Amino acid sequence: MLRIENLSAWYGEAQVLRDAGLHVDPGEVVTLVGRNGAGKSTLLRCVMGLHTGWRGTVELGGTALGNLSADRRARLGLGWVPDDRGSYATLTVTENLTLPPTVGPDPWSLERVYEAFPALYQRRNSAATTLSGGEQQMLALARVLRMGARMLLCDEPTEGLAPLLVQQVGDLLREAKRHGVTVLLVEQNLRFATSVADRHYLLAEGRVTAAMENSEVRSRERELLSYLGI
Amino acid sequence: MVMRRTVGLVAAATATAFVVAGCGGGGPQSEGDEKVTGGAIVLGVLNDQSGAYSELSGRNSVTAVELAIADFRAKYGDRAVTTDISVRSADHQNKPDLANSKAQEMYDRQGVDLILDVPTSSAALRVADVAKEKRRLYFNISAATTDLTGKSCNKYTFHYAYDTYMLANGTGRTTTEQVGRNWYILYPNYAFGQDMEKSFSAAIADAGGRVVGKDGAPFPNTSGDYSSYLLKAATLDPKPDVLGTMQAGAELVNVVKQYNEFELRDKGVSLAVGLMFITDIHSLTPAALAGTTYTDAWYWNFDQQNREFADRFQQETGARPSFAHAANYSAATQYLEAVQAAGTDDADTIVAELEGKEVNDVFLRNGKIRAADHRVIHDAYLAQVKPQSEVTEEWDYVRILDTIPAEEAFRAPSPDCTL
Amino acid sequence: MTALLQSTFNGLVSGAFYALLALGLAVIFGMLRVVNFAHGAFYMLGAFGAYVLLAEAGVPFWVALVVVPLALALLGMALERAFIHRLTRLDPLYNFLLTFGLTLILQDLVKLRYGVQSSPYEAPAGLRGSVDFGLFDFPTYRVFILGFAVAVCVGVWWALARTRVGMIVRAATERPELTRALGINVGRWITPVFGFGIALAGLAGVLAAPMRAVNPLMGADLIIVVFAVVVIGGLGSIFGSVAAGFGIGMVQAWAEAYLSAFPIVAQTIVFIVMAAVLLWRPAGLFGRAEAPA
Repeated sequence: MLRIENLSAWYGEAQVLRDAGLHVDPGEVVTLVGRNGAGKSTLLRCVMGLHTGWRGTVELGGTALGNLSADRRARLGLGWVPDDRGSYATLTVTENLTLPPTVGPDPWSLERVYEAFPALYQRRNSAATTLSGGEQQMLALARVLRMGARMLLCDEPTEGLAPLLVQQVGDLLREAKRHGVTVLLVEQNLRFATSVADRHYLLAEGRVTAAMENSEVRSRERELLSYLGI
Repeated sequence: MVMRRTVGLVAAATATAFVVAGCGGGGPQSEGDEKVTGGAIVLGVLNDQSGAYSELSGRNSVTAVELAIADFRAKYGDRAVTTDISVRSADHQNKPDLANSKAQEMYDRQGVDLILDVPTSSAALRVADVAKEKRRLYFNISAATTDLTGKSCNKYTFHYAYDTYMLANGTGRTTTEQVGRNWYILYPNYAFGQDMEKSFSAAIADAGGRVVGKDGAPFPNTSGDYSSYLLKAATLDPKPDVLGTMQAGAELVNVVKQYNEFELRDKGVSLAVGLMFITDIHSLTPAALAGTTYTDAWYWNFDQQNREFADRFQQETGARPSFAHAANYSAATQYLEAVQAAGTDDADTIVAELEGKEVNDVFLRNGKIRAADHRVIHDAYLAQVKPQSEVTEEWDYVRILDTIPAEEAFRAPSPDCTL
Repeated sequence: MTALLQSTFNGLVSGAFYALLALGLAVIFGMLRVVNFAHGAFYMLGAFGAYVLLAEAGVPFWVALVVVPLALALLGMALERAFIHRLTRLDPLYNFLLTFGLTLILQDLVKLRYGVQSSPYEAPAGLRGSVDFGLFDFPTYRVFILGFAVAVCVGVWWALARTRVGMIVRAATERPELTRALGINVGRWITPVFGFGIALAGLAGVLAAPMRAVNPLMGADLIIVVFAVVVIGGLGSIFGSVAAGFGIGMVQAWAEAYLSAFPIVAQTIVFIVMAAVLLWRPAGLFGRAEAPA
C-alpha cells in the first residue's frame, strides 16, 4: 500500500531523515516508534506532501506521489490525523466532519459517526475546539473515516489521553482495520502499539534501524522503553 | 508567529502611513549643479506638484512663469539685461522640512535668484527663513498666513497674492452685512485653519456680527465625515445664519457635499467659504455651490485683459488659470522688470527697486509693493458662485459682486514686522 | 437625546464604510496572509469608476453599483495572479511592499488622467432629500448606505456561515495546511477570494462617490483608519472587522460631537483605541492569539 525508499528530508540546513525506507501492506497497521526528534512526524508530513525539502521515493498503492500537492494526495485516499488533532475553532463539529470530500469507496456516513460517538452528536453544533481532548481525537479519526480514506496517517493519537480513551482509540483503529483500512501510526505508547499494530519500525536519527514483530517488541520492551526515554 | 508579527507590522505601518500614504510619486527632478554666472537669471518655482494643492498651482504655475519669461524676452529683445533666463521647479509635497531643503538647494546649487509660489503656510514660513539667511529673494504666492508679513517678515520675502486677512475681511465683513449676523465657523485644526478662524472672528465682530459656535475639525480628516459639525450647526441656539467653512481642497469638497446632503441651505444656514479656487468650483460643479460667496484675489473672466491671459494660459495647459497661476505670472514679470530697471540681479538692489513701487498688470490692479512689511496690496473681489442656469461657459462659474479697493483689502502693516 | 441618536446614526454611516473595507481586508488576509495595502486604492477606483461611467458613458449610479465592483474584482484577480501570487510563499513583508507600490501606481495613473482635483458626483435622484424619523430627519442617501452596508455584511456573514464555499474559506483561513491535507484545493479559492475582497472595496467606493470628495488620494487617507479598525477587530477576524468598523465609526462620531472642544481627541481617537486594545489584547478584540502554521 505504502512504500517509502531512500527518503531524506531537511529543515533548512539540518537533515532530519537519512535514506529512511519502510513499507505498509494493504490492511496492515504499522507503527513508527522513535525518540522525540527522530523524524517521525517529518516522515508523516513527507508522505502527506506537507514538507518541502525532501528527496526519495514515496509510493501509494503503486503510484509514485512525487510532487503531488497535499490535497491531491488526500483525494488519492490518504487520511491525515495530525498530532494536535486538527480541530477547527471556526467550524462546528458537523462542519469539521463534512469539510473534507469523500475520497474512498467505503466512507462512513455522518449518521454512522454520530451513532458511534454520541458525545460528538450532542455537541454537533458547537465549535470543535470546545470539545475535550479525547472527543477531539475521536473527531479527527472519525473525520478521515468519513472521508473514506484507505490509508490513515496518525500522529500520536493517544498522546495525553486517559486510559479509557486510549482504549477507545484502539477500538476504532481495529474497527477500521477490519474494514480494510491501512494505518501508519506514530506512537510512543508501546503497550498501545502492540495492541493495535501488526508490525513496528524503529526510527533513530533519521534512519529506520529496526523492523520488529509484535513478539519482538514485547520481549524487548524494557530495553526499548529505556531507549525511547520513557 | 506570522500572525503576531503581522499585527505588529500593520500597527506600525498604520502609524507611519500617516506620514507616507499621502505622498504620491512625482518626486522632484534632480538637476545638475550650475554655477551662478554673471549674466544668468534663474527663477525657482517651489510648490506642491503631486498632492492636494497641485491643481490650484502646481506645474501650471511653472507654465505661467515661462509665459512671463517669453513676454519679457519679446518686450525687450536685444535690450534685455540678459537673455539667459531659465526656470527650475521642485515638489515640496507640502512638507515644511522638504520645502526647507529644496529652497536651500535652489539657492545654493541651482543658482536660483528668486523662489516663487510655496503653498502651505508652514512650508512657506520655513522658506522665508532660508531666504533671510541666504539673502536671496522670495515671492510667496500661494500661502495664506499673515505671519509672512508679521512676526516672520524679512527683507527678502514678499507676500504677493492674498492672505487670511484679505479672505476674512472680504467674506466675513460682507457676508455679515448682507446675509446674516450669526456665524458658525468650522475650520481644519492646524495653523492655516486656526489663523483663518481668528481672522474671520475678528472681521465678523468688526462688522457687528457674532460667532455663535466654532469647531476645529480633525486635520487631515481621515474619515472624510463632517456630519457631526453640520448637525450641530443646524441645532445651535441662536441658530447661525451662516456656516463659514475654512476647509480647503478635498476637505472643502467633503464639507460642501455634506452641507448639501443635510440640506442646511433649506434650513436657513447659508454657506460662506474661507478659501476657494476656481478649480474647486470646477470639481464640485457650480450647482453644489450656487449662491456661495467668497473672496477672490483675481478672476480670469473679470475683464478683457484677464481673459486674454486666460486664453493663452488655456492653450498651454488646457485649463483656465486660478488666481495663483496669474499671480505667479505677475510676480515673475515684476521681478524681471525690476532687474531690467536696476541692471543687476543683486538682491539688495532689487529690494530697493521694488519697495514702494506702484504696479498695474494683469494680476495687480492698483497694486503697490509696501515698503513697511513687503505686503503686495491690490484690489480683491467679492465673488458669488452662479446658479447652474446662468453658467454658459465651462470655467465661467462666478460673478464679481464687488471690488474691494487695495487699501481696504489688506490689513495695515503689522507692528510685529521689522524688516 | 436626539443629538445622541443623530451622532450615533452618523457614526454608523461612517462605520459602514470602515466595515465594508475591513471585511474585504479580513477575508483577503485570512485566505492569503497578505495585508493588502492597495485596498484604499481599490476603494478610490470604485468611486472613480462610478464617476467615469457617469461622466463619459452616462451610466447611472445603480448600474455602477453592480458593474464597478465586478470589474474591480476582475482587475484584482488579474493582479493577484500576475504579482501577489508569486510572493505569498515569502515573508509577508514582501506583499505588503508590493501592494504599497501598487497603491502608488494606481493613484498616479488616476492622477495622470484626472488630476488631483475632486471630480463631481451626485446621489441618484431617488435618494436625494431626507427621511423624517420623527425626532429628527436624516439624509435619505445616508439611510440607504447604512441599510445597504448592513445587508451586504449580513449577506457575507450568511455566505461564510451557511455555504460550503464559506466553510472552506473559514477552514482555509484558520488552518491552511491542515485544510489542504484534508483534500481541499485551497489554492483554487485564493484568487476568487482576493477578487471578492477587492469587490467589497470597490462597492464601498461607489457608495462613497456621492458624499465624499472623489479624488486619487481619497483612499490613502481612509485606509489608515481602516487598518487601525482591522487591528482593533483582530487581524483576519471576519466578525471582528465588521464589529470594529461600526464601533469605531460611532466612537469617532461621539468624540466629534461631545469632545469638540478637544479636536485633537477626535482626530486621534482611533489610534488611542487601537493602542489600548493592543495593550489589553495583543491579537485584537476578536483575534486569536496565534495561528498554527
